[in-house]
Amino acid sequence: MPDIHRPGRRSVLAAAAAGSASLGASWLLTGCTGASAAPALPKGAKAGTPDRGGTLRIARPPASEAETLDPASALSAYEYLGALYNRLVRIGADGDLAPDLAESWEPDAKARTWTFRLRKGVTFHDGRALTSADAAYTLRHILDKATASPQAAVLAPLIDPAKLRTPDAHTLVVPLKTPNAEFPSLLTHYNCYVIPDGSARGIGRTGIGTGPFKLESFAPAGPGRITALTDHWAGRPVLDAIDFYSVADMSARSNALLAGQVDLLSQTNLDFATARVVAASDRATIARVENAQWYVLPMLTTEKPFTDVRVRQAMKLAYDPEHVVKVALQGAGTPGWDNPVPPSDPGHLGAHPEHDPEQARHLLKKAGHEGLTVDLYTSSYDPVFTPMALAYQDSARRAGIRVRVKTASADSYYTQIWMKKPLMATYWYTGRPVDQLFTQVFRGGSSYNETAWSDKAFDALLDRARQETDDERRRELYGEAQTFVVEKGGAMTPMFADRLVGISRKVRGYAEHGFEFDYLGIGLKGA
Amino acid sequence: MLSFIARRVLAALGTLVLSSVLVFLAVQALPGDVATQVLGKDATPDAVAALREKLALDQPAWERYADWIGGALHGDFGSSLVSGKTVGGEVGMYLSNSALIALVTVLFAVTGSIVLGILAGLYRDRWPDHLISTVSLIGMSVPEFVVATVLVLCFSVALPWFPAVVLYGPEASVGRLMPAVWLPALALAIVMAAYIVRMARTSVIDVMASEYVTTARLKGLSTWRVVTRHALPSALLPTLHVIALNVAWLAGGVAVVENVFNYPGIGKLMLSSVQNRDLPVIQAIALISAVVYVVCNLAADLGAMALNPKLRTRGRTR
Repeated sequence: MPDIHRPGRRSVLAAAAAGSASLGASWLLTGCTGASAAPALPKGAKAGTPDRGGTLRIARPPASEAETLDPASALSAYEYLGALYNRLVRIGADGDLAPDLAESWEPDAKARTWTFRLRKGVTFHDGRALTSADAAYTLRHILDKATASPQAAVLAPLIDPAKLRTPDAHTLVVPLKTPNAEFPSLLTHYNCYVIPDGSARGIGRTGIGTGPFKLESFAPAGPGRITALTDHWAGRPVLDAIDFYSVADMSARSNALLAGQVDLLSQTNLDFATARVVAASDRATIARVENAQWYVLPMLTTEKPFTDVRVRQAMKLAYDPEHVVKVALQGAGTPGWDNPVPPSDPGHLGAHPEHDPEQARHLLKKAGHEGLTVDLYTSSYDPVFTPMALAYQDSARRAGIRVRVKTASADSYYTQIWMKKPLMATYWYTGRPVDQLFTQVFRGGSSYNETAWSDKAFDALLDRARQETDDERRRELYGEAQTFVVEKGGAMTPMFADRLVGISRKVRGYAEHGFEFDYLGIGLKGA
Repeated sequence: MLSFIARRVLAALGTLVLSSVLVFLAVQALPGDVATQVLGKDATPDAVAALREKLALDQPAWERYADWIGGALHGDFGSSLVSGKTVGGEVGMYLSNSALIALVTVLFAVTGSIVLGILAGLYRDRWPDHLISTVSLIGMSVPEFVVATVLVLCFSVALPWFPAVVLYGPEASVGRLMPAVWLPALALAIVMAAYIVRMARTSVIDVMASEYVTTARLKGLSTWRVVTRHALPSALLPTLHVIALNVAWLAGGVAVVENVFNYPGIGKLMLSSVQNRDLPVIQAIALISAVVYVVCNLAADLGAMALNPKLRTRGRTR
């Protein structure tokens, strides 16, 4: 499961160590103050202006020794990618598309051909000027089978690499195989960072891009360092440099933060006990990335009893997402109401069916599954999985559904349980545009379709939506698609959780949403 | 005596061969096809076929075992499936970092706990004995990762004397690793200490009650001299075995503690190899752990023999 965030896959041993570490820590710290009620966690990072300069130290989970900086095939090096490269288009803080290397973009009347106008005066870290040839090469590189890019599955049905055109040095024309009014949003994916023409061989180690930082050193699963460009096209970053360190164990990562050895924990959603300890310390605090984690209970629609849509509907109506948010997230999140589009997305549809255990009971009876018993798999892979499963179990009991929560080993969870067991707990990062989300996770036949749901009517609805050039009408169609997923799909979305990020009290200007991170504005105060 | 040594060495070799077979079989017994397990669910059939060929999965198991063990005897453990580097070099680098921790741990644990054990033995049933016994038993009962975490909270977070974690990779120099060695070593030493303390205490009590110590006292020797010259050598003997077993335990205990401190040692390599299904590395580490275990046990037995006249002469009297 390369596309979702892997928080440094920990073994049972290490997970046990993490759990006990946070216990030990909270025992020590809360023991001193005698606090028994859980204090509220801070909402956001400290505001204020940072001092110019300084080096930010980031601890991240190590990926494997095979980690690469080639954006097209990178599965985990998000922090490096965002600092070293730019995309044509990015997602702004409001959730809408914003210009990055492309200053503007427009479709033809049928959204069949897209023209991107590139920013002028942009150079790569090796001094070469950015041209449309680089942008075209980037797309061809993603589509190249040898690259094995996860985004190829999304883009290959749309783009014929031979037909890309570069009429001048700053114009890229992309003819599509089928019309798609949402095409630019697909280029905001973290596999779509622009690399120099012909750089495929070395890019995984050189990291030469157009981003505000350039690579000084990088070791797969080890430390690395990037330094700021003083003359970057988007302005000079506040920081002088960023040091990256790989720390596998989550408790070790938070210890490093508490001891002042690092300033920020990336790709780390702290559990509540650890988060409280961090928030109570003098050196560090917690910043929340709102609705950053999309938690899912996927039902495999090819496995009984979930082959029956009435059972799937009953499973959804049976539980109360507000209860799950309260119990599993201690309120630090938003109920999902089984809609996979996060509330922060401009296309999010607010309407949803109400929690209705009686109707669930009724549907189960009609489907011949009265008093249904199901196994729900979870693991220590993520701290929220088990509380979420238990909250679901508790809530669904009122509809007469008996849920047996089973804990599986964390290190083989995504090879043995995910997409294999009929019902389990999992999560994704949010930050995917609507069309990307539906195409990748809900369209019949997609490799990340974790419910194995295949509905021709839904796929046709998606096709209609992406071909619709009228923005208002298209938004309505994606809204219909959301209703479709809520009513018929196999994915239960109990909630979107805030990511609890451990951060030093010296850090200012921290802003992160989805896969976007503000590398220009982040800095340190009084370091 | 020679036949005793020969028998012990032979038994050790037998254990090693057996464990190498078990290690090999355990890896073979991983669920599913090894190649698909390694490559994950997104693997293309081409990639699976290529890896099957690289791992020589098409050959019979005993042939692969012979290849592997033959290479291992020459120090060639193959190459890592993940990084592509030679396993021998990779494991060696991490192993030398772990050896640094192990060395400091053994020094801490052995000197510290023998001194404490002797004190406890000499002050039997008085307050120093009770204090030492209770504290060392607590140290033994609490899991090593909890001890490690408490040490981090005390000596890295509250009092910033030592680094909480190691931020360097495995190629870091000894000088850079040295500040980070003390806390993990102390954590391991605390867990190890109780066994050695108990053993040393019992031996000292036994020896101090023996006739030759009474004789030595009657000769008018000071307590210090009685303890250092007469009691200590005999009291050390049973302790030696416990120390050797503890060093063997270190091979495993270090895995958990290294992860708490993010220390780039063999334990951390093992964990990440298991997670990445890097089979050649797992096999090499398992085999090396077995060697450490067997060698420590052998050393304990032979050491005990060297110090114990009864064992040393048994062969002759028979």
